[in-house]
Amino acid sequence: MSLAQQFRTGDTPLPDIIILTHKLARAYDMGGEVVRALRGVSLQIRRNEYVAIMGPSGSGKSTLMNLIGCLDTPTGGEYWLNGQKVSDLGDDALARIRNKEIGFVFQTFNLLPRATALHNVELPLIYAGLGAKERRAQAAQALERVGLGDRMEHRPNELSGGQRQRVAIARALVNDPSILLADEPTGNLDSATSGEIMEVFGALHRQGQTVVMVTHEHDIAAHAARVVTLRDGLVATDQRQAA
Amino acid sequence: MTQLFEGIGIALGSLRGNKARAALTILGIAIGVMVVMIIASMISGINRSVQHTFESIAPRTFLVWRWFQAGVNISDGSEETSPWRRNPAISGEEADRIALLPSVRYVTRRDESSARVEFGDLALESVNISGLSSQWVEVNGGDVYPGRTFTRLEDLANSRVVVINKKLEAQLFRGRDPIGHTIKIAGVPFEVIGVYTPAPSLFSGASPPFAGIPHGAFEKYVPFWKGWMKLAIAPVEDVPQQQAIDEVTALLRSMRSLKPAQENTFSIITQDKLLDTWQQVTGVFFLVMIALSSIGLMVGGVGVVAIMMISVTERTREIGVRKALGATKREILWQFLVEAATLTLVGGAIGMLVGGTVAWVLSKATPIPAYVPIWSIVVALAASVLTGIGFGLYPANRAARLDPVEALRYE
Ligand SMILES: Nc1ncnc2c1ncn2[C@@H]1O[C@H](COP(=O)(O)OP(=O)(O)OP(=O)(O)O)[C@@H](O)[C@H]1O
Ligand SMILES: [Mg+2]
Repeated sequence: MSLAQQFRTGDTPLPDIIILTHKLARAYDMGGEVVRALRGVSLQIRRNEYVAIMGPSGSGKSTLMNLIGCLDTPTGGEYWLNGQKVSDLGDDALARIRNKEIGFVFQTFNLLPRATALHNVELPLIYAGLGAKERRAQAAQALERVGLGDRMEHRPNELSGGQRQRVAIARALVNDPSILLADEPTGNLDSATSGEIMEVFGALHRQGQTVVMVTHEHDIAAHAARVVTLRDGLVATDQRQAA
Repeated sequence: MTQLFEGIGIALGSLRGNKARAALTILGIAIGVMVVMIIASMISGINRSVQHTFESIAPRTFLVWRWFQAGVNISDGSEETSPWRRNPAISGEEADRIALLPSVRYVTRRDESSARVEFGDLALESVNISGLSSQWVEVNGGDVYPGRTFTRLEDLANSRVVVINKKLEAQLFRGRDPIGHTIKIAGVPFEVIGVYTPAPSLFSGASPPFAGIPHGAFEKYVPFWKGWMKLAIAPVEDVPQQQAIDEVTALLRSMRSLKPAQENTFSIITQDKLLDTWQQVTGVFFLVMIALSSIGLMVGGVGVVAIMMISVTERTREIGVRKALGATKREILWQFLVEAATLTLVGGAIGMLVGGTVAWVLSKATPIPAYVPIWSIVVALAASVLTGIGFGLYPANRAARLDPVEALRYE
């Protein structure tokens, strides 16, 4: 925490702080009863950091990831991404940011079942408005990067779990996003395959990619340089560790 | 553009995946489009040949009938719905007096019936027989070859001579030369003097057997429904048609002692009027076409809503993923609209193929000269796409408004 900027409402984050949340809150109105999933999370993540988010079930990890990923909007506090205050942007602007700045990796892969690996990886480029040729080339390159250059025409059901997650990682990377967000990316994989996927994340981080990853497992979190723990919608601990 | 192609690809994929559901939708649209195609092709085909027919008749000739109703009317036989009962029949005397008018070149009479026709051992029932004045070929168009039509003298003398058409020639004589042979019409012998070929017209390819005989002989020998004689009148050259019409009208009114306030008790029909009437009839066809095809399109439209709602629900997660990857609301909306339109366009294309085939079969197998006009293809395809977009709007909007977090969590 020593390196963090002392941030107050009205300030602008320092240039190398890629993610800054300030007293970020998210409450759900459940028919009169309010569930406060996040109760004021202040967090700063620098470019090229590798952060693991841990915490018990229901502590708000996924809620935080959705806010950081601009899939959801906070009910309180501020969120700055890459020098831009996104907590009060509209739907279309958020869609643009998801397309350009953010790469998602999900626990359940979330590939389109009927599309080939290559086409799945092309999707973000379609929404970025790229031409077919360029799209194909970039998607193929992203698949090569995760070691699936020889599986481009396979459909998800013709791939193993680990391979599917690699396709998902290639899809997350293809737009060259500012941050890579992964919510329990190894949750559906056996430990050997999990190890391989963590190798991929490690390599990406070494190439300069900023990575934020939610996990339940300490040996997965051990790959990260920094571990943030949530409890009841608040940051409980925030520690740097030797990688 | 890429998204358009992608949308069409997805649509075809989901069509393959949901065959039963898609079938209902496609069927509805296909029926709607098929009806448009068939009726449009019939109207256009008939229109074409009607125009052709009218052009082939001497254009200045006009008709005097006992009764002619512009448009379509339905009769139950009562006085109000059978207004022709108020009109007296056209008489022979009236015809003779009209022929004497200075603006009239000639008048031809026509009465129609059907009768048994025999030649040797062969007998045909219900052959169309017309009693005609000698200039009838000039009025009707077409020509007589081989042979000749009856002369004015034969007409006045009630001679038992007959002109037959190709169809009757083929059925009675089977390739032999008919000229000079005697056939029996309603049991009375007539000498065949000519073979008539009508002007190319509406049903010319399939016109039924026909025999034309002098009008006097017709009245004398053939049983017919009296009181429906029709006159065709050709004005003298250089006299405007309207002048002849005025003279004929004035003559008939005075012969029938009509007061100025009374309406004509006869009908005068020009080709313009016939064309008008024809156009009114086609108007009715059009209404039927629009009604039937809108029902089909409605059924298809409801199918579109159903199949698209299912598609949206089944693919909730996919929508979430697409949103997470940067798709805007508009892009999702567009994707599902393209999908709905593709669905209906497939239906439209099928309906067009079936409808086009039916039109083609009609034109080959029946006298209806159906042909498919380009505009009907455009209208049919546009209608099917618009149906898809119109009915797809609701489900597509549902998809576009899905919350990405909820959609991604959907099981
Ligand atoms: N859409 C929602 N409506 C109401 N409450 C919600 C909703 N989403 C999350 N919550 C609540 O917010 C809290 C945090 O949920 P969240 O999914 O962030 O937990 P998590 O830390 O990711 O848990 P897990 O480890 O089980 O994935 C929970 O109490 C949950 O019930
Ligand atoms: Mg979670």
